[in-house]
Amino acid sequence: MAQPLVKKDDDRDDEAEYSPFLGIEKGAVLQEARVFNDPQLDPRRCSQVITKLLYLLNQGDSFTKVEATEVFFSVTKLFQSKDLGLRRMVYLIIKELSPSADEVIIVTSSLMKDMNSKTDMYRANAIRVLCRITDGTLLTQIERYLKQAIVDKNPVVASAALVSGIHLLQTNPEIVKRWSNEVQEAVQSRAALVQFHALALLQQIRQNDRLAVSKLVTSLTRGTVRSPLAQCLLIRYTSQVIRESNTQTGDRPFYDFLESCLRHKAEMVIFEAARAITELSGVTSRELTPAITVLQLFLSSSKPVLRFAAVRTLNKVAMTHPMAVTNCNIDMESLISDQNRSIATLAITTLLKTGNESSVDRLMKQITNFMSDIADEFKIVVVEAIRSLCLKFPLKYRSLMNFLSNILREEGGFEYKKAIVDSIVILIRDIPEAKESGLLHLCEFIEDCEFTYLSTQILHFLGIEGPMTTDPSKYIRYIYNRVHLENATVRAAAVSTLAKFGAMVDALKPRIFVLLRRCIFDSDDEVRDRATLYLNTLGGDGEVVETDKDVKIFLFGDLDIPLVNLETSLKNYEPSEESFDIDSVPKEVKSQPLVEKKAPGKKPAGLGAPPAGPPSTVDAYERLLSSIPEFSNFGKLFKSSSPVELTEAETEYAVNVVKHIFDRHVVFQYNCINTIPEQLLENVSVIVDASEAEDFAEVTSKPVRSLPYDTPGQTFVAFEKPDGITAVGKFSNMLRFIVKEVDPSTGEAEEDGVEDEYQLEDLEVVAADYMMKVGVSNFRNAWESMGEDFERVDEYGLGPRESLAEAVSAVINLLGMQPCEGTEAVAANSRSHTCLLSGVFLGNVRVLVRLQFGIEGSRDVAMKLAVRSEDEAVGDAIHEIVSCS
Amino acid sequence: MGLWESFLNWLRSLFFKQEMELSLIGLQNAGKTSLVNVIATGGYSEDMIPTVGFNMRKVTKGNVTIKLWDLGGQPRFRSMWERYCRAVSAIVYVVDAADFDNLSVSRSELHDLLSKPSLSGIPLLVLGNKIDKQGALSKEDFMEEMGLKSITDREVCCYMISCKNSTNIDTVIDWLIKHSKSKN
Repeated sequence: MAQPLVKKDDDRDDEAEYSPFLGIEKGAVLQEARVFNDPQLDPRRCSQVITKLLYLLNQGDSFTKVEATEVFFSVTKLFQSKDLGLRRMVYLIIKELSPSADEVIIVTSSLMKDMNSKTDMYRANAIRVLCRITDGTLLTQIERYLKQAIVDKNPVVASAALVSGIHLLQTNPEIVKRWSNEVQEAVQSRAALVQFHALALLQQIRQNDRLAVSKLVTSLTRGTVRSPLAQCLLIRYTSQVIRESNTQTGDRPFYDFLESCLRHKAEMVIFEAARAITELSGVTSRELTPAITVLQLFLSSSKPVLRFAAVRTLNKVAMTHPMAVTNCNIDMESLISDQNRSIATLAITTLLKTGNESSVDRLMKQITNFMSDIADEFKIVVVEAIRSLCLKFPLKYRSLMNFLSNILREEGGFEYKKAIVDSIVILIRDIPEAKESGLLHLCEFIEDCEFTYLSTQILHFLGIEGPMTTDPSKYIRYIYNRVHLENATVRAAAVSTLAKFGAMVDALKPRIFVLLRRCIFDSDDEVRDRATLYLNTLGGDGEVVETDKDVKIFLFGDLDIPLVNLETSLKNYEPSEESFDIDSVPKEVKSQPLVEKKAPGKKPAGLGAPPAGPPSTVDAYERLLSSIPEFSNFGKLFKSSSPVELTEAETEYAVNVVKHIFDRHVVFQYNCINTIPEQLLENVSVIVDASEAEDFAEVTSKPVRSLPYDTPGQTFVAFEKPDGITAVGKFSNMLRFIVKEVDPSTGEAEEDGVEDEYQLEDLEVVAADYMMKVGVSNFRNAWESMGEDFERVDEYGLGPRESLAEAVSAVINLLGMQPCEGTEAVAANSRSHTCLLSGVFLGNVRVLVRLQFGIEGSRDVAMKLAVRSEDEAVGDAIHEIVSCS
Repeated sequence: MGLWESFLNWLRSLFFKQEMELSLIGLQNAGKTSLVNVIATGGYSEDMIPTVGFNMRKVTKGNVTIKLWDLGGQPRFRSMWERYCRAVSAIVYVVDAADFDNLSVSRSELHDLLSKPSLSGIPLLVLGNKIDKQGALSKEDFMEEMGLKSITDREVCCYMISCKNSTNIDTVIDWLIKHSKSKN
C-alpha cells in the first residue's frame, strides 16, 4: 500500500515534515486499530488511530469489505468511552466506513441514545451519522426524534437534522415530506445556518409543486430573511419562479424584490441579485441598469473574487445586451492588466463584444501581448469573441484574420485549434472578401497539423470552396502534399478533395487525373479505392469530357439517409443476384432523445408505452407487418409514427397505437397490455368508428386471440384511403374483448367468459403523418439544387401567439418536418425568425420548406411559407396543410 | 447496611476496584434491556422499544464496575452476537420462560453460539425471565428444555428471575460479582 508513496518525487521529501501521517501503511494502522478492543481504553490513543484511518480513507486508500467491517465493529466498542473528543472521532469514522462495511445498523440504538443526549455535540453528530446508516424501516422509528431535532433550540442540532433531511429526501421522500411543518418553523429561525438549510430543504420538498414554490417565495420575499446564504437561495428560487410564471404583460413579478436585494449589506446577496436580474429572460435595459451599476462597483473592488464574478457576469450580459455594458468599459480596460489572468481574459473578451470599430485595433494589440500567458480554455473564449467581433465589423476582417492565423501557428491543444479553425471557416462563409486569404491560412495550417480530424475537415472544406475561387490551382499543391506526408485517413480525404477540384474545374482535369493515377499505388486500401472510383466517375481514361450532373451530385450531394439506418440495412443485406438498393433504406430520422426523455417519466407508472410494442424501429415494424398476410399487398411501408397513448397511466388496460402509413392504406397497430392478474382477455379487438374520417374505409381487422396478464399483444385495423390526397380524420376507438376470471393461485382461467367493452381515447391522423423527418446537412445547397420550378410561396397570418418560439414550434409540429441547421431554436426577444425544414412526403417526394416569421407588438405572428419540392402537387399539399389549420 | 459498613465498602472499592465485561443476549422480547435497567437503577417499565443494534451501559455495584453490552435480539442482529461476546467475563443469556413457542429457537441459537471456538470456556449464565407470568416453566423443566445439561465445556449456571417483580435479581448480581476479575 505504501508503494505509491515510495515512488513519489524527491521534492516530496520537504513536505514530509509537514504531514505527520505521510508514509503510514494501511496494514500497520489496521493492526493498531486493535487498541479499540482493549478492556482499558486510552481515548487519546484511540483518537489518533482513528485519525490515521480517516487519513488513509481520504488519501484514496480503500478497505476491503472484511477490513472495513472488522474496523467498524471494533470502533463500536468505543461507545463505552465518555470522552467527548473520542466520540466525535467515532462519529466521523462510522460515517466514512458506513458505505463499505456490513451491518452498520448495529449502532442505531447507540446513536438514538446519543440523539436524545443532553450534550449538543452528541445530538447533532449522532443525527448526521444516523441518517447515513438508516434505511426506510428504521427511519419511521426515529422520525419523531428527527422532527424534534429540526426545531431544536440549538442551531447546530437543527442544522444537522435539516441537512440529514436533504440527504434522506433522495431515498425516502415520502417520509421527509411529512416534516414540512417543522421545516417551515425552522425557516423562521434566528440562526443563519438553520434558516439556510431549512429553506433549502423546504424548497426541495416542494420542488415538484410549482404553486407551492411560488407561494413560498411570495411569503419569504415579503418577510425578512436574515441569513445572507438563505437570501441567495431565495433569489435563486425567485428567479426560477419568474422563469416559470411566463407572464408577458405588465411588470415582472418579484423584480422589485430582486432590485431591493441590490442594496443588501452582504456582497454575496448583491451579486446573486445582480446575476439573477441579468439572467431574466427578455430583460429590458431599464431592468438591467441597476444590476449593471452594482457590478461596475465590484469591478474596482480589492477582492479578486468579486472582480472575477462581476466581469464574468458582464461578459455574459455583453453577448445579449452589449450596449448595457458599455458604461463599464473604462473599468474593464483597467482590468486588462489585472494580475489575475482569468479576470484579464474575461475583461478583454467583454470589451471585444462591447467595443466599437475604432477600438478594435488597440484591443487586438493588447490581446496579442498576453495570449501566451493564458490557458487554452481562456484562449478559446478569446477566439470566440474575435469571431463574433469579426462578424460584427466585417471591414476589420484583415487584422482579425491575421490574428487568427498567427495564433493558429502557435502551440495549442485540439479544442483550441478546433475553435480557431471553426472561426476561420465561419468567417470565410460569411465574409466573401476573407475567403481567399482564409483558405490560404488553412492550407498553411494543414502543412503542419498534428490533428487528423482537423486535417480532414479542412480538406473537405477546401474541396467545396476551393474550386470556386479565382485561381483554384494554387491549392492543389497543398492538397497533394497530404497524399505524400500524412496518415491514411488524411490521404483518403485529400484524394476526395482532388476529385472535387477535377469535377468542378475542367481546366485542371488532366492534371488532376495524373495525380489521382499516382494515388492508385498507395499502400492503403481506402486511398486506392477512392482514387480508382473517382478516376472512373470523372472519366479519367484520357479524354477530357464535361462532367455530368450525376457525377456532381455524387461528389457534392448529401447522403440524405441517416448513417445508422444505412448501416443496419447493409448489415441485413445478404449477397445475392439482386444488388443493394439504397432507396430501400428507411429515411426516417429517429428522434431517439425524445423517446428516452419520455421513458423515465412513465416508468414509475409501471406500464409505459415502450414495453407494449416491439422496439420501435422502422425495421422491426416492417418485419412485423410483412409477416401478416392481410397487409402483404399494401406495398412498402412509408412511415410508422411513434406510439400514441390511448389510455391514462395506471388503468386496467394499457393501450397505445402506432400509425403505419402506406401509399394507399393506413394500418393502426394497437399495443395492448392487460394489467389485471385475475383476468384473461380473449378475442381482443378494437372497434374503430371512422365517421369523422370520411376519406377512410375499413378493410380488415386482426384481433388478438388471447391476452394474459402483463403480456403485450397487438391487434391491427387497416383502412383504405384515396391515393394522392393527404386524408386526415378523427377515429374513436373501443376495446372489445371477452373477460375470463383467472384463479391467481393456480393461474387457470374459468371456462366461461363475459363480453365487455372499454372506451379508449380518440385517435387522429394528421398531415404530419404523411411526412418523414429527413434532414439535410447543407440546406442552402439542397435548396439551390432543388430549383425554383415547383416553388410555392404564400403568406399567412397566424393571429396572436404566446411567443415567436411557440409559433415556430407549432408550425414545425404541424408539418412534421425535420428542422435543419438548428433553426428551430428562436433567439430570445427576437422579432423575426427564419426556420428551415426538410422532409420526405408520401410517395418519396423530397420537400424543403423555408419559413419566415415576424411578430408584431400585439403578438400577432405573420409567416411567409416557401416550399420547394420535386412534385408540384406536394408543394400545394403543404400549403393546404397550413391554410387549413 | 450501617453507615460504617458502607464507608468500609467505599474504602475497599478504592483499593480493590474490580471490573468486568458482560454481553447480554437472547431472542427479541426476552427482557434483556429491562434486565439492564433493573440492575442499573432498579426501575422497571412495561413499554420498551426493541433494541436496534446494541446499548452500552456501565453499572457500578460495590467495588465492581460492570460493562454491559446489551444486544438486540431480532434475527438480523443474531449473527453479530459473537463479535460482542469475545473476551467477556461472562455471557448472560436471557430467555422468556413463559414463551414456549420460541424456546426451541432460543435453545438452538444458544448452542450455535457456544459452538464458536472464540467463545470457548467463557462462563454462561442462563436466565429464565418472566416467571411472574402464568404458566412459566419451573427451573427443572426450563433447564431440560434449554438442554443446559449437555454443556460441559464451561461453567453454566441458571436462575429463574422476574424483572417485573425483581425476583432473584440480587442472586444474579451476586453471581456476576463473583465472576469479576480483579483489575489490579
